[in-house]
Amino acid sequence: MKSKKIWITLVILIMMLLVPLGKVNAASDGYLQKIKDKGTLVVGTSADYPPYEFTVKQSGKTTYVGLDIEIAKKFAKDLGVKLEIKNMNFDSLLVALETHKVDAVISGMNPTPERQKSVDFSNVYYRGKQYMLINKKDAALYKNIHSFKNKTIGAQAGSLQYDLVKKQMKNNQIKGLAKLNDLVIALESGKVNAVAMEEATAKAFAQNNTSLKVINPEFNVDSSQTGSAMAFPKGATSLVQAANKTIAQIKKKNLINKQYIPLAGKYMTNNSKKNSMWNYWTYFAKGIEHTLIITVVSVFFGFILGVLLALLRLSKSKLGKVIATAYIEFVRGTPLMVQVMFVYFGIGAVIQSLPALLAGIIAVSLNSAAYVAEVIRSGIESIPAGQTEAARSLGMSQTLTYRYVIIPQALKNIWPALGNEFITLIKESSIVSIIGVGDLMYQMQLVQSATYKGVIPIFITMVIYFVMTFGLSKVLGYFEGRMKHA
Amino acid sequence: MPNMIEIKNLEKSFGDNQVLKNITEVVKKGQVICVIGPSGSGKSTFLRCLNVLEKPSAGQIIFEGQELTHISEIELNKLRERMGMVFQSFNLFPNMDVINNVKLAPLKVKKDMEEEATQKAGQLLEQVGLADKAEQFPLSLSGGQQQRVAIARALAMDPEVMLFDEPTSALDPEMVGEVLKVMKDLAESGMTMIVVTHEMGFAKEVADQIWFMDEGYIQEKGAPDEFFANPKTSRAKEFLSKIL
Repeated sequence: MKSKKIWITLVILIMMLLVPLGKVNAASDGYLQKIKDKGTLVVGTSADYPPYEFTVKQSGKTTYVGLDIEIAKKFAKDLGVKLEIKNMNFDSLLVALETHKVDAVISGMNPTPERQKSVDFSNVYYRGKQYMLINKKDAALYKNIHSFKNKTIGAQAGSLQYDLVKKQMKNNQIKGLAKLNDLVIALESGKVNAVAMEEATAKAFAQNNTSLKVINPEFNVDSSQTGSAMAFPKGATSLVQAANKTIAQIKKKNLINKQYIPLAGKYMTNNSKKNSMWNYWTYFAKGIEHTLIITVVSVFFGFILGVLLALLRLSKSKLGKVIATAYIEFVRGTPLMVQVMFVYFGIGAVIQSLPALLAGIIAVSLNSAAYVAEVIRSGIESIPAGQTEAARSLGMSQTLTYRYVIIPQALKNIWPALGNEFITLIKESSIVSIIGVGDLMYQMQLVQSATYKGVIPIFITMVIYFVMTFGLSKVLGYFEGRMKHA
Repeated sequence: MPNMIEIKNLEKSFGDNQVLKNITEVVKKGQVICVIGPSGSGKSTFLRCLNVLEKPSAGQIIFEGQELTHISEIELNKLRERMGMVFQSFNLFPNMDVINNVKLAPLKVKKDMEEEATQKAGQLLEQVGLADKAEQFPLSLSGGQQQRVAIARALAMDPEVMLFDEPTSALDPEMVGEVLKVMKDLAESGMTMIVVTHEMGFAKEVADQIWFMDEGYIQEKGAPDEFFANPKTSRAKEFLSKIL
């Protein structure tokens, strides 16, 4: 249903190599007892997927709702514990499960054989049909999969629908994007002629956007491939059994169709009724707050660490040189996104209580330090040797020489490059949204899925980022002006 | 006169290139030595070995009884305070104004009080004729003015010996005189000086001794009158015939 990229699997594999496997529990697994002991069930979800899970604002607070959330609530109630929802990117959910950041995952997830290799699934609790979303004006043209010829069909990359379109609509183009919201934008702007998606989701979009319509294109679907189930850590049989009990009750009373979906629909209608951006300013404010916190703290530690690395790299110590160079090369040679995931899931597997925000800050600081170190090194090396010689000939120690002669001049030379790095940091910090840190990018996605408006939140976010970077650029310019001499 | 600097069997190599080959000399207190010789003869390296800006490959430098080549960084810093150095390219700190260039080392190394350091820096700038430039930044001064500030900066540490590394070579001709004048005044005040220079007029007039260097050796030394009138070695003769 939702995308699962290949490299995520790679990251998992690497982490499995690095993280000791001692956490795999035996058959009498004790998972259930552990949750009862701590009194809280932590459930991971990706709350951008109505009607399964999404967010609404209730009396100023962001609340997670949707049919999956209702199921999770019932499950927690049946266990007699409190429910805690952890929201993160869909891609990160299984890793979070394997590294015990969450006890369970409920996120409209298909129990595919591939996923079953790494986690255990409950019984399927809901099975929707595979639908398509089209523009209403095309309703006369498109009835089923055979009405399309040489058209472009959108589907979430790596999803079941993507496979279906590829195999069963061969005389058409397929366009895969990561986010449903982006696909719907593409549909509205005519970039694609239809978007294949799961029934409940398609209906939700159509309900909230009068220019869209759902059709049942009659894909030929193998029922074993569809349906949503809860995921648990491998070997957590006690939890799977407990979940199956809850699911059996839900099915018996037909709670999903009778209660959960209508409730989700009501939330969605409410959302779309008040989906003016003004109603969501607190989302953006929260996002700005987090983005600024991450940036400021990371600039601070990144700079300090960067100076140390630069000095180490320039030092006479061979070992120091090797360490600094290796660090810089490694960090520059790997994507920040992977580093963020590694810190959160890899280091987080050792230190269980590592919050996502802190993990994000650590990763971004460590990343920035490598770049800052190179900028500082180039700055220091740009100062003529005569400056050092003059200072040393006056009896100044190396430390005094650096502090009063070299660094002030180097700082002036590298100020534009350093400013560039800080501005980049504001933007790059958006990557932490994948581990569920509530930065601006993350909030934008929440607003998108809550309001069914794709472009406006992007535009607002873009403007906010620009205002922040432009402001910073002005501040840096002011200090640059003050440093200019003669 | 007591010995100020003793140089014993000094050698210096950069890789396979031996620049200084077994130099043994003595500089006495109050002496003005002018080191002359063709480019590449090792004059600058020799001077830079004296305060260990270049670490000698072999031999000893003994400054007022203390050996310099095998001491700790901290002790070396202490000794450098007492050996002023003036560079061909001035090397003023462009990030601070003239008076702060002069004050920096007294304040941070000697831990002088601000007032005392300011007063003394003012006097030194007066001495080199630049009292009115105290608030300016180095790059707004002419080469001759910058070099005079550099001399004042070195003097601010009350050195016992001053090393000059071709102090006028980077200057336009009309600026050379003002710098040489300051150096001459300094020599007359009794400062021990070692000057690497191409200014033969200055050497003739001010030096107590000329050291003629070529190919990593001090080939010949003597009083200026005698050296310039009757050089003994063929190399010195050849050198002088080219420049005079």
